[in-house]
Amino acid sequence: MLSGSAAISIRGLTKRYGALTAVNRLDLEVPRGEVFGFLGLNGAGKTTTIRILLDLLRPTSGNAAIFGRDCQSASLKARSAVGYLPGEMGIYSDLTGQELLLFLERIGGNPVSREYRNSLTERFELSDRDLSRKLREYSTGMKRKLGLIQAFQADPSLLILDEPTEGLDPLMQEAFYQLLADGRSRGRTVFMSSHVLPEVQRVCDRIAMLRKGEVVLLSSVEDARKLASRRVRVAFERDVTVPASLPPCYEIIDATPRNWTLRVTGQLGSLPSFLVAFPVADLTVEEAGLEDVLVRYYRDGAA
Amino acid sequence: MTMLFTLVIQLLHRVRKLLLSAAVLLAGFQIGLILQANSIQASNSFSKMGDLIPAFLRDILGPSFAMFLTFKGIVCLGYFHPVVMGALVSVSITIATIPVMEIETGFIDLVLARPVARRWIVTRSILVALISTVLLLAMMALGTWLGLTKFAVNDAGWPSANLIGSLAINLGLLMLCWSAIALAIGCACRRRGSAGAIAGLLALTAYLTDYIGRSWKPAESIAWLSPFRYYTPFELVMGSPLPAKSLYVLGGIAVAAFALAYLLYSRRDISH
Repeated sequence: MLSGSAAISIRGLTKRYGALTAVNRLDLEVPRGEVFGFLGLNGAGKTTTIRILLDLLRPTSGNAAIFGRDCQSASLKARSAVGYLPGEMGIYSDLTGQELLLFLERIGGNPVSREYRNSLTERFELSDRDLSRKLREYSTGMKRKLGLIQAFQADPSLLILDEPTEGLDPLMQEAFYQLLADGRSRGRTVFMSSHVLPEVQRVCDRIAMLRKGEVVLLSSVEDARKLASRRVRVAFERDVTVPASLPPCYEIIDATPRNWTLRVTGQLGSLPSFLVAFPVADLTVEEAGLEDVLVRYYRDGAA
Repeated sequence: MTMLFTLVIQLLHRVRKLLLSAAVLLAGFQIGLILQANSIQASNSFSKMGDLIPAFLRDILGPSFAMFLTFKGIVCLGYFHPVVMGALVSVSITIATIPVMEIETGFIDLVLARPVARRWIVTRSILVALISTVLLLAMMALGTWLGLTKFAVNDAGWPSANLIGSLAINLGLLMLCWSAIALAIGCACRRRGSAGAIAGLLALTAYLTDYIGRSWKPAESIAWLSPFRYYTPFELVMGSPLPAKSLYVLGGIAVAAFALAYLLYSRRDISH
């Protein structure tokens, strides 16, 4: 039974292409109003999952639902609540930007407020003149902006965004983050895949990390960061020698007589008692980022 | 219905240049043929051309051949000249393989991510195939009418409107048949290039099979498999009525292939 209260509900989802398993028994639930980050390296199964949600791909087994509506048996109703930005915008270049937006509005089934769309085009700095140009004349960044506008224009309850800031300049990325914050404040749910970890760290409430089609981590961004090892740089007043044994979860990466760089996994509570015997002059703790989590799960193969 | 209408308009917009240029070329070709027939008629050369053909060859080719040494025969040639048939089938295949191109380029992702049923994509393509067929044949008929009324002399032995209509209907069904076959092939393929190549080669093979089957007895046993077998312009020009069997067979192939296209498109993965 799929949960009707969740924006996205996935149960035992599997997609195989012959011998290749793209998604393997995936379970996931995204509550309404959450900004959810879907992480993983290329080929991890992110896009496959998104395409199953949109009924572009048919699962081998398992099911997925959007607002309680099955993505296969009730796909039209499920998709009526979705705004989608594909990873690669396959556009018909003989249309103008305006024509594309109008075409997608007409087949979208949901009314588009001119006022809201104008606010989107202003936010992404696409002028009327830009919109009247053929899409073949658009740069990569302009296409991406148009992609975001078409996904947001009907103000859908759920936004599924595949690599949303790919190709956007920093100013436009900021505009996108603002748009996302506005959407969140109005209760919209966002399901986004991304490679840009600082971005995920900044905008997402929770993340799922995929490896070889399986969720290897599902947690809040804060909890995920706690899982990562942190770097601690220690400077000493005089030369010291490295002790023969270190506390568990401590590892010395680099050591000179007056400077150490340590990698600490987990809580830092034992750090003061460990350093008390040394003439510490300065101490720097580098915040763990999602990169470190990603590295841990991919390179180190954490389960 | 609004969605379907929008999808049809969008696809027509996409193929407008191809359709309009093909329509103008084909209409121009009809006028050109009439000018040519007019010129032969004016110089009284039809009988001279007939005299140039040896009697034994005339016997082999039969009375239908003699018909093409007339004003009417030359005018009607515009409806079954291999180049014209090739152009029409190519246009049909080009339009029918657009759904697979949309998958290949990813354009369809934007469409199907909205509440658009997959059957509407196929229905849209069928409607555009119908509209294209009617448009092209109407333009050919217009070219014939313009050529006859503006350039031909009245006593030249014009083909009747009924004959032109019969040729157009039979040819139109043949075009729809290839649209349907190409659409079904496209719905099973990942690449438009593959779909177009398969459909094109199939059409060429079918045309050659029919061509050989018409003049070589042993090939007759397989010629019935070719849709071109059910386009019978020679008989029509000779005065035979439009054969119902041909219409049923061509219509049947089209309906079956369109049904197969619905089935394949509804079940396939949309991935590029």
